Amino acid sequence: MEGVFSYAPAIAAFPLVAFVIALAFGKYMPKKGAFAGIFATLGSLVLSVLMLVAVASGEVYHETLYEWAIGETPSGIGGIEFTFGILIDPLSALMLVIVSLIAFLVHVFSLGYMNAEGETGLPRYYAGLGLFTFSMLAFVFADNLLMAFMFFELVGLCSFLLIGFWFRTRSAPSAAKKAFLVTRFGDYFFLIGVVAIAATFGTLQFAGDGSFVAAAEAAMDGTGEAWTPAGIGIESWVTVTGLLVLGGVIGKSAQFPLHTWLPDAMEGPTTVSALIHAATMVAAGVYLVARMFGYYALSPTALAIIAFVGGFTALFAATMGVVKDDIKQVLAYSTISQYGYMMLGLGVGGYVAGVFHLMNHAFFKALLFLGAGSVIVIMHHEQDMWKMGGLKDKAPVTYYTFLAGALALAGIIPFSGFWSKDEILFDAMIVGLEEPVILAAYVMGLLAVFFTGFYTFRMVFLTFHGEPRSETAEDPHPVGWSIKAPLIVLGVLALVAGIANLAPVAKLTGLDITFLQGWLDGEYGAVEGLTYGAYSDLLAYETGVIGSEQLTVLLAAGLSLLLAFSGAGLAWKLYNVPEPVAHKERLGSVRETIEANYYQDEYQVWLAEGLTLPFARAADRFDQTVIDGLVDGVSTGSRSAGSRMRRLQTGIVTNYAALLVAGFIALLVVLGFLGGWFL
Amino acid sequence: MMIEALIAVALVGALVTFLAPNRIAGKLAFAISLVPAALSLWMFSAFDGAGNALLEGDLAFESQVEWLQLSEYSISWFVGLDGISLPLVVLTTILTTLAIVSSWTPIDERESQFYGLLLFIEANLIGVFAALDFFVWFIFWEAVLIPMYLLIGIWGGPRRKYAAIKFFVYTNVASLLMFGAFIALVFALPEVTTFALPDVATAMLNGGPEAMFGVAGTTLASIVFVAMFIGFAVKVPIVPFHTWLPDAHVEAPTPASVLLAGVLLKMGTYALLRFNFTMFPDQVEAYAVPIAAIAVISVIYGALLALAQTDLKRIVAYSSVSSMGYVILGLIAYTQFGVGGATFQMVSHGLISGLMFMAVGVIYNATHTRMVTDMSGMADRMPVAVGILVAGAFGYMGLPLMSGFAAEYFIFFGSFGADFPYAPIFTALAMFGIVLVAGYLLFAMQRAVFGPYNLETDYEVSTAPLHDIAPMFVLLGLIIALGVAPDLIFEMITDAVDPILDGGEL
Repeated sequence: MEGVFSYAPAIAAFPLVAFVIALAFGKYMPKKGAFAGIFATLGSLVLSVLMLVAVASGEVYHETLYEWAIGETPSGIGGIEFTFGILIDPLSALMLVIVSLIAFLVHVFSLGYMNAEGETGLPRYYAGLGLFTFSMLAFVFADNLLMAFMFFELVGLCSFLLIGFWFRTRSAPSAAKKAFLVTRFGDYFFLIGVVAIAATFGTLQFAGDGSFVAAAEAAMDGTGEAWTPAGIGIESWVTVTGLLVLGGVIGKSAQFPLHTWLPDAMEGPTTVSALIHAATMVAAGVYLVARMFGYYALSPTALAIIAFVGGFTALFAATMGVVKDDIKQVLAYSTISQYGYMMLGLGVGGYVAGVFHLMNHAFFKALLFLGAGSVIVIMHHEQDMWKMGGLKDKAPVTYYTFLAGALALAGIIPFSGFWSKDEILFDAMIVGLEEPVILAAYVMGLLAVFFTGFYTFRMVFLTFHGEPRSETAEDPHPVGWSIKAPLIVLGVLALVAGIANLAPVAKLTGLDITFLQGWLDGEYGAVEGLTYGAYSDLLAYETGVIGSEQLTVLLAAGLSLLLAFSGAGLAWKLYNVPEPVAHKERLGSVRETIEANYYQDEYQVWLAEGLTLPFARAADRFDQTVIDGLVDGVSTGSRSAGSRMRRLQTGIVTNYAALLVAGFIALLVVLGFLGGWFL
Repeated sequence: MMIEALIAVALVGALVTFLAPNRIAGKLAFAISLVPAALSLWMFSAFDGAGNALLEGDLAFESQVEWLQLSEYSISWFVGLDGISLPLVVLTTILTTLAIVSSWTPIDERESQFYGLLLFIEANLIGVFAALDFFVWFIFWEAVLIPMYLLIGIWGGPRRKYAAIKFFVYTNVASLLMFGAFIALVFALPEVTTFALPDVATAMLNGGPEAMFGVAGTTLASIVFVAMFIGFAVKVPIVPFHTWLPDAHVEAPTPASVLLAGVLLKMGTYALLRFNFTMFPDQVEAYAVPIAAIAVISVIYGALLALAQTDLKRIVAYSSVSSMGYVILGLIAYTQFGVGGATFQMVSHGLISGLMFMAVGVIYNATHTRMVTDMSGMADRMPVAVGILVAGAFGYMGLPLMSGFAAEYFIFFGSFGADFPYAPIFTALAMFGIVLVAGYLLFAMQRAVFGPYNLETDYEVSTAPLHDIAPMFVLLGLIIALGVAPDLIFEMITDAVDPILDGGEL
């Protein structure tokens, strides 16, 4: 199988070529460059699957392909090489398949969503999608932290370009700017983290003996050397650097408090939202934590913070989702909330659970966004759920696939989302029994299940059930197969993807059916040190049980199912009626706070526009009056001379040239005198 | 004789262009400028130097001729290139050619004089980077000012006279300070009878100056270090000596801005590296904290000022102050990646700021305004020019795979683990510049080039001609090339930087 890996770079290169083609020749091509993107992502998908098969047969690939820069570490711990390389192991092979699959489906869907709708600027759109896919795929197979950072940033650029696709509006450029700026703020910490880790260990490799994870482990054992600033202990420094990198994760994965860009990002085309939320930008953050999980496993503090931020975000975002009227807004907040779950899972050491949910979420969230896109086409570009209703019978494919996605999102058995969310909550619960902080995170995650069930089915009922509430809802626009086919593929995946890891069933019956766990644990093939088992050995968490393990499993699953059903049931009662009303007054005094998204936007906008901008203007006034004033003041003495000088400005350049030459000669003469005079 | 050939072609070309009719001057100057550009690229490929020009390195294209004798001091024509100066020479020749092409649209009076001056400036800039004798160097250094003064003063905007005089007087006074300090230093150095920079550097590293006029040698060295630092700081410019820069940029015609930001600012940082940071390792160590503080202030304060502007050219001008702050941070780090990154940033910023000024210039040609408040949605009418502006802006923001990221990353990495006190804290503070730069550039673009199309001036906007666009594509290509493969120049840079860092062991 070794031969397959030599094609690995092409996985990312295909979409890059599609980007160039679409940008340069898109407007002369049929479908404005769409086919270039479709074939490229299909090629990436095929190659990714081949990689997956190769890894399943026990092979892994870790190869440095290109030296970017080499030199000496400033901290004096030897040389350092900044390189580009490819690491294909169970985690990245899985993610490559997910990303290229979603990207492929989004490209196909775009034929119906963008081309058929008479959009202009399509070459730019397809070029953006291609660059986006390229950046994400290269990020996924990056074998070191700097390369990961570089493509992480490029992912940010692409989101800027695509969120701002409709640049002739006021809102899209604003949302694009916000997305880039907020995630840039996170990346600022990430970059400090990269620089700090490189300075500390002299390496940024993810895998192998020369990795920074191995170096950190050795330094903590006392068997290896590392530089730390001002003699900080290596344990604390690992935590600090880990948290710095986490800054980038929080920005990209839209975790509290840097989640504010994501709802605005709905300004982009819905297809772009699907790509951003399911497989690229937002997924990049959580994937990074999984990629360097060994490093976080060394720091219980960092892990606990990840878990707590995740649990809090899951609940926090879910509560905001319940009052949104725009179908895409509901989905946006659900994304924030779901990535909170993944963070919670990873933070409690549930590496498998976190990755499992990352995968399932990719499928069902892409499905929901594309489904919403289909609804938007059906509704002639109406996104307000209160103007929909009754689409169930008029668009059955969209309805049933959307329903599958909704059931997965709400975590209803046996849909995929149930299995992964349950596993996260189970892992959080057993650690929480011993660690109070984790318990708090777990409780927040658990409560969020109720809200998730509620907002998800509120969305389903308002959109598809009841009576049509507008003329367009009565007379829907038909959708073609390029829209339906991706929905069906994803709908099936949302239903069955859970089979990959039926952990509760395995625990109850003793069957060996936790395939994903085996996969990530290197049962097929893995890079040493990058396995679930290796991470578990590093983790410092104690776990507890209630009664027996079986009972705990049942309790955890029962609790989350109960809450999901209650949430969904409440939505059923309130909104599955022919003429639903908002019921928002029932929220009472908290309503305003939730509708204002807890004023998170307000304070962040204030930080930028109310604090930084006036401060900048004050600095500008200071600069103009005080600093420049001093400069002008110093020259005041010579100003009269200056006005006489001005008469020399005859505007005849030959005069200047003559003066110039004269000045030079004078200078040389004076220097000569000076030289002689001094001796 | 390659360097002499470079300078001679540019000088003779300047004269020929000066005398040529206006009608053909632009094309003629372009044709002439291709010669030094091609020559310098050939020199780049044939470069066989090693080590540092001042520290016993093997010079490439060296030539030394006794010139004149001032009592016991001899001055010689001494030029040569090492891994630090060669990239800057190539930058100069390429930018000059591109600046000439970018002048074709906006310059419509006294063309022969304009293009003649551009070539004259090129000759002197090459001289500055190639000269290794202080007097030769200083003549070129001063001679650069004059054509730039004229370019701003004649072809500039409404306040051109104020800006030109301010530029000239400010930087000239600074040069005087630096000149006096250096001459005093040479006289205080024992056994030095030339103004050859390698001789001075060697003497500085082997004991430094002796007492003069009752001032102890080490004190004298410190005084000279500070005086020269201030002298160069004006040129760079470093806060608080930066106020001439925005005025000069705003008034200067686009091609002059391209050369001013692209190359002239690098004279200051290059001189800092050659003089202060090569000859005075002890002072560098002693003044590390204040210099690092100045670097951080330049980065943050420059970025804040850029944020407050509404004139696109002022925004780019202030952002240069910010970018030059990174160079100072890299220099003071005094590590391979720090100083190497600083040098890399000189080249990278030259390309990126050149690109930005050109893009702003192209938009100005069409709209006759540079105020972000006067326009909106320009992307609708000038998609290619705006596309390049956006690409350049992301380059400025340090987008990976573009040269700005490589430069900034090298600097940050080089200074985070450096030896000077509080290095990680200074570095982390300066790094906040990457957030601010994204803030002001994205904010400006959101207002000026995105949104619904609107223009406050009465000009018919059409797409830019090819000869306006082509130079920007060349720059964009170079920016991406250096971002993907920094080793195109970084290897030769570090080769020349290493001896500086081992300076004490000469």
